[in-house]
Amino acid sequence: MSAVTTPAHQASGGVNVKVINRIVIYGLLALFALFYLMPLFVMLVTSFKTMDEIQNGNMLALPKAPTFDPWLKAWGETCVGLTCAGIKGYFWNSIKMVVPAVLISTMLGALNGYVLTKWRFRGATLVFGLMLFACFIPFQSVLLPMATILGSLGRFGVTLQNSVGTSFGLGNPTVNLVFVHVVYGIGFTTLFFRNYYEAFPTELVKAAQVDGASFFQIFRRIMLPNSMPIFVVTVIYQFTNIWNDFLFASAYAGTGDAMPMTVALNNVVNTSTGVVEYNVNMAAAMIAALPTLLVYVLAGRYFVRGLMAGAVKG
Amino acid sequence: MAFLEIDGLRKRFGQVEILKGIDVELEKGGFLVLVGPSGCGKSTLLNTIAGLETITSGEIRVDGRAINDLHPSKRDIAMVFQSYALYPNMTVAGNISFGMEMRGVPAAERQKAIDKVAKVLQIGHLLQRKPSQLSGGQRQRVAMGRALVRDPKLFLFDEPLSNLDAKLRVDMRIEIKRLHATTGTTIVYVTHDQIEAMTLATKIAVMRDGEVQQFGTPAEIYNNPSNLFVADFMGSPAMNLIPATIGTSGNALSVVLQREAREPINLPMANAPAGLSAFQGKPIIFGVRPEALTDPEGAERNASHIATADCHIEVVEPAGSDTFAVTNLGGKGVVARLRADANIQPGTNTPLAFNLTKAVFFDPATETRIR
Amino acid sequence: MSTVATSQIKLTPEHARPRASVRSRLQDALPKIVLAPSFGITIVFVYGFILWTIYLSFTNSKTFPSYVLTGSRAYQRLWGWTFDTDPPSSWYTSITNMGIFGFLYIAICLALGLFLAILLDQKIRGEGVLRPIYLYPMALSFIVTGVAWKWFLDPGLGLEQTLHQWGWTSFHFDWIKNKDFVIYTVVIAGVWQASGFIMAMFLAGLRGIDGEIMKAAQIDGATTFQLYRRIVIPLLRPIFLSAFIVLAHLAIKSYDLVVALTSGGPGGSAWLPSNFMYEYTFKRNEMAVGSASAVIMLMTIVAIIVPYLYSELREKPR
Repeated sequence: MSAVTTPAHQASGGVNVKVINRIVIYGLLALFALFYLMPLFVMLVTSFKTMDEIQNGNMLALPKAPTFDPWLKAWGETCVGLTCAGIKGYFWNSIKMVVPAVLISTMLGALNGYVLTKWRFRGATLVFGLMLFACFIPFQSVLLPMATILGSLGRFGVTLQNSVGTSFGLGNPTVNLVFVHVVYGIGFTTLFFRNYYEAFPTELVKAAQVDGASFFQIFRRIMLPNSMPIFVVTVIYQFTNIWNDFLFASAYAGTGDAMPMTVALNNVVNTSTGVVEYNVNMAAAMIAALPTLLVYVLAGRYFVRGLMAGAVKG
Repeated sequence: MAFLEIDGLRKRFGQVEILKGIDVELEKGGFLVLVGPSGCGKSTLLNTIAGLETITSGEIRVDGRAINDLHPSKRDIAMVFQSYALYPNMTVAGNISFGMEMRGVPAAERQKAIDKVAKVLQIGHLLQRKPSQLSGGQRQRVAMGRALVRDPKLFLFDEPLSNLDAKLRVDMRIEIKRLHATTGTTIVYVTHDQIEAMTLATKIAVMRDGEVQQFGTPAEIYNNPSNLFVADFMGSPAMNLIPATIGTSGNALSVVLQREAREPINLPMANAPAGLSAFQGKPIIFGVRPEALTDPEGAERNASHIATADCHIEVVEPAGSDTFAVTNLGGKGVVARLRADANIQPGTNTPLAFNLTKAVFFDPATETRIR
Repeated sequence: MSTVATSQIKLTPEHARPRASVRSRLQDALPKIVLAPSFGITIVFVYGFILWTIYLSFTNSKTFPSYVLTGSRAYQRLWGWTFDTDPPSSWYTSITNMGIFGFLYIAICLALGLFLAILLDQKIRGEGVLRPIYLYPMALSFIVTGVAWKWFLDPGLGLEQTLHQWGWTSFHFDWIKNKDFVIYTVVIAGVWQASGFIMAMFLAGLRGIDGEIMKAAQIDGATTFQLYRRIVIPLLRPIFLSAFIVLAHLAIKSYDLVVALTSGGPGGSAWLPSNFMYEYTFKRNEMAVGSASAVIMLMTIVAIIVPYLYSELREKPR
């Protein structure tokens, strides 16, 4: 019986061919694993080496005397532009920007997806199509007008500050970035939730309507409690994207104390004054990479799902 | 005045008319089944009664009150959905009481109502479970519980049994019938299964392409189909619809059925419907249900008009309770229903008895009944 | 018989057809009200801004936006630069780089992604370990990626130095400092980052193929190679399309990678149009030219994405 289930080519090739095949496959896979791991590995070992060891030793060698100093220096002392207080401030800048931007864009995406699937109206597909296309535009095509608008709002904020005593956040670079990331993130969040709710049984919504639940009651009591997976996916996707953003960050908060982590890191690395401290640079890069890496390690499955959902429309 | 009245109901979706003027009514405590093939508009009609879809024109009245502009929750209806639509995040108790919660019924009262319904449906032990922990039949019960607990004027069922396996479906069918008998509720029930329609209904509306083809009691629909579609759709195995011509036999009209390689069968009609005389020499469709085509010994004793003819048996299907024999008449396979112990062999010529009192005739051009 | 009773009831006001109240009409409009802010934001900040950018590209804006229309001067200058090869203009460099980068990045990612997916699909022990290793670069910022690769490719510190230490002293690899080859280092880093994701897409596609088709092909006597070439890869066509769309739009958007890896390369030799736009708009005070280049980038994306989205959204009318 087993002859039937064994593919013909294996039966004729014999055991040796099969073993060699497997060795080649595993060899190739291992080789590529090295290719993908190499940069991270180099970054990690370098960040624990002294400058001496870096200049005289091998890039791939493990640190002989591992030291935490580069990390501490990157966190608290290294120079970003002219200020030398480490990257910790910028790390928190990023957190302050990411958390509200992710929460707001995810919430809006959930509501939009709910409306677009369960309360369809004439033109809903066009509305969705227009929002979806916004995901794909090169942001260069909106960069300049947004800069102009944010500049005007900033000046208005200063006027308010002088006359009323508060600027209501207008002109604050972090607030600006939250706004920008929400604006250019709702396309994605809407896409995620729309595709998820598309497969969500409409009969549940009908049943809730017959039960007398209102638009928001249905959303809060029926939709949200059953949306956990897509929430995780969306939050992770948005978190990664916004944390890693460089273009908006450098355009709207490229200088000064409010710059996010990515811009600060780029400044650290590209500082041309004095000796380049590679170990500190690598430690700073690791710190910048850590939040998203952590999310990836803890919830990789959802991360992949988000990427897929962003790639395959429907 | 009927309890549920649907008057000239039309529903248009863009250029497509999905419901083309529906007129149906149902007495209080009645059981109306909307039956038809998929896409005939029966579910849409149910949804318009529920208020889940708007109507283009016409009126729906319950107990004399027009409800077509009301929100679903204001119509005093309850609905059981095909997928049961149980809220997966709530317990069984939560599912049953969600509607009352939305209407602001106090918790103590809700609990009382839950307990009462749980007792009727014997789901007391399931109340704290989530829907994912229930079997298909249990989910079905919970869905009915959610409808029952509200004690509404009208119950709507949207193909509630189609997700169950064959045996459970029969059990639940009986359960629903019992529920209807004991509670006396008024029910509108959608199905594509004509057996469900026959067994449950007090009134059936057979639908096709957004129109009611025939509206009447199950017996009327079964015995007096008003057109070819209804005759073909209702009954299992389906009615034999045999192309034939009308000839004469003495003074009376007769039905002429062609056979392969033999002379035609000529069945004399003692009491043919009046309209049939106009079709002399013309083609008609001759309809006879399998149970009206039997072995001569098994034929109904008290039928007034039986004709017997030799038929060539091609296939024999013993089904346990009956034996079905297939012969070929008018170029079509024709099913006869015989007693289980009938001694019949495929490939032989056997006399079959046609119960002509039960026979019906259709005009092949208009597909309507010749009366 | 029942008509009389019915008409009587119709006359009494309580039982007459209830009018839709203001509240219920508000309820009906609620979904649209909820969607409106998001849609409005999209219209203004995406489509409005695009129009604004297009408008700016037809002005003579320099450091600050000017709203005097001066015709297609900016486009004429870009067009002129397109053939300015000796010495190559920044625009010429940017678009040829885009061509090289776009083609190699998409082709290598697709080939490598498919190759790895097929290898991983051979019932591999340890797939659960390998898959995340291939995919993790996608979670990293381009800026971090750039730092890592910059170090790795640096002739004095990275790979070259390491191989010299190991005794291969003739090894020479200085692409990152060479203006003719720097764009290929961007390709390497870009492929490193995205190919794992493409692998995951193909792997999902492979897992979605009906196993019975594979069995049938094996019974028909197909070898493994034939099986993949004749059956599996044709079945993966939709994945190829999706992956192409993803890669094409990532390629056109690539900006950070060039900045972090090469800081633009020697004399701007690693620029892509996105870098060109940024530099001309914000650093060289040629706002109109910057806008015009942004419009050209947008049009490229439109040409790829719009037909795709149109077909995707049209297929399921419901």
